[in-house]
Amino acid sequence: MPFDWLNPYHLQVASFIFINILLGASIYVTLSTGQLSLGNAGFMSIGAYASAILTTRHGIPIPIGVLTGALLAGISGVLVGIPALRLRGVYLAIATLGFGEVIRVVFVNWESLTGGAVGIAAIPQMGRETLAALEKAGFSAASVGLRNNQFISLTVFLLLFAAALLSILFFLRLSSSRIGRAYAAIRMDEAAAEAAGIDTTYYKVLAFCQGALLSGFAGALFAHATSYISPADFTYHRAVEILVFAVFGGSEHLLGPVFGGIFLTLLPEALRFISDYRYIIYGALLVAMMIYRPQGVIDPPLIRRLAGRRAAEGAGR
Amino acid sequence: MSRTIRLAGIAAMLAFSLVFLGAGKNASKPAVPPKAKAPVIDARIGVISILTGQGSGYGEAITNGFKLARDEINAKGAVRIQLVIEDSSGKQEQALAAAQKLINSEQVAAILGPTLSTEMKVAGPEANASGVPIMGTSTTAAGITQIGKYVFRNSLPESLAIPASVGMAVKKYNIRKVALLYGNDDVFTKSGFDTMKKMAEDLKLSILTIETFQKGQSDYKAQLTKIKGLNPDAVFCSALYEEGAVILSQARKMGIKVPFVGGNGFNSPKVIEIAKDAAEGLVVATPWFADKNDPKVKAFVARYRKAYGKTPDQFAAQAYDALYIMAEALRKAGTSDRAKLRDALAGIRNFDGVLGRFSFDAERDVVMEPVVLIIKNGRFQVFQ
Repeated sequence: MPFDWLNPYHLQVASFIFINILLGASIYVTLSTGQLSLGNAGFMSIGAYASAILTTRHGIPIPIGVLTGALLAGISGVLVGIPALRLRGVYLAIATLGFGEVIRVVFVNWESLTGGAVGIAAIPQMGRETLAALEKAGFSAASVGLRNNQFISLTVFLLLFAAALLSILFFLRLSSSRIGRAYAAIRMDEAAAEAAGIDTTYYKVLAFCQGALLSGFAGALFAHATSYISPADFTYHRAVEILVFAVFGGSEHLLGPVFGGIFLTLLPEALRFISDYRYIIYGALLVAMMIYRPQGVIDPPLIRRLAGRRAAEGAGR
Repeated sequence: MSRTIRLAGIAAMLAFSLVFLGAGKNASKPAVPPKAKAPVIDARIGVISILTGQGSGYGEAITNGFKLARDEINAKGAVRIQLVIEDSSGKQEQALAAAQKLINSEQVAAILGPTLSTEMKVAGPEANASGVPIMGTSTTAAGITQIGKYVFRNSLPESLAIPASVGMAVKKYNIRKVALLYGNDDVFTKSGFDTMKKMAEDLKLSILTIETFQKGQSDYKAQLTKIKGLNPDAVFCSALYEEGAVILSQARKMGIKVPFVGGNGFNSPKVIEIAKDAAEGLVVATPWFADKNDPKVKAFVARYRKAYGKTPDQFAAQAYDALYIMAEALRKAGTSDRAKLRDALAGIRNFDGVLGRFSFDAERDVVMEPVVLIIKNGRFQVFQ
């Protein structure tokens, strides 16, 4: 086999990195208006459950399930956002964290729909479904020199890569648009932004909705990557994990949480050889960050330096 | 704009670089050569367990059980087992990544674990699709071995444990009306409750009430007051020992004197430690009884105590037996080939381990007689 080096394990870790990139970006979007929302785990679960139920019980194709899940999460983002955004700072953080827990408890107790604590198993996995569909059309993984499990992992990897890349590009473009400028103005000074004629409520709810939509999208993809979900996936721990992406990577630029998502997913895997101690290093790293670089690894000056140097190199060539 | 594209490029490169990291290293890693005709069968067995974070207590007992069994099996010489232990820290993503690593990078013959049923529901389908036998040693929820023909378990499911304890208690105490109490946010206790309810209906008991609680709850007075008012003959309680012990203690303080009947989750010496006198009269069913009068059990308990300084719990015992079952299958297969190992495993019948006589049924699930225990005079005793 020519592609023996293509290891499903590495592809698997990379796939989780892309999901975490989406989650990191989702918390950044609300943060870019200066609102700290910790409800992302809740929105993620809405997306995951909606897509899982539609595809598993009603035979809806995965792409439609994922989009429905994301939209549903976005709509609930608006519904939660309108009343919740009357709160500010830590009060908003607590209210949204509470929302996430409420959603989880609803999923635990609504047994007829969600299966309760047992969760939903045998959710169609995107890689396996793609392979099955292609095999029906007469294609086999061996014809392109891949084993079946390599092909499945590669499909998941590429789909999630595309999803993450498109989302990141969209939000990078957004940051220099009219909407992005409005977000930045609200973040710096809400009263001044309002005085300058920006409809702050509209933009804040829009940012909240975009964050929820992105979390729901990530959640739906998560469901179709692991093929099993239960309420235990979307606890308070998940919300904190997403927050840590932003805290570690940096919350002042979109690439901060993206970097946090990549690095903090990779780290525990890279440290597997010291098994028992790996989360000690994870914790120590976070503490060190708080002391030496409280704004996170990536901040706008660093981005300017990196981009500036690369631009200069490009011009020199 | 060109700047943002460059930045996106950096991010993409970072993510991609991972895939190619160590790619060359894998290709050159030799798989264990299957020595079909050699007297000694070498096998790499992967273990997925919780070594860090919440639940690492289970993981520790399980890996201890594996290591003890490995040393004994290797000393006997017919089979030489090399364990590759990976941590899942109780998370499904990590369990899946660990399974992928064991299957593709480490090229193991079979996988033991993961620890939790939720992890198995993610790792199981992957191992099954890759044709690697995977055996859970502590996964008790319903629908585990139904994942596929490469998925096994040797842990007694609640669907076997609970009928044993409930059936015995109903007969001995002549129970007619019961109250049910269970933790509804945990796969294990929820599965246990489903069995309990079905059992109560089959035995035509009248169910007075069904009460629920959540993981980590510390005050059960509301549920217990209601139960006390209804005056049942017994309380069927599906709980893990952490919550179960507190429930028992509060129930006795409120004057509920009827017997409590639990499943396998209640089976821990910690119940007696936490609830003290209140634990008296608790009936549980379990595959594992450390004081059993059986030379095999006694020898295992003595060796385990010597190696790790404590009495083995059911998780250690199940892990210990699981590796012996794996060794037996390897010996029968005569090779560490994955497909042949699966067939040999599926053919295991009447295996005598520390848990008693064990067989796989046609669905690769457990066939064994659980022991019914009762707490009397501050310790677990056989309920007769």
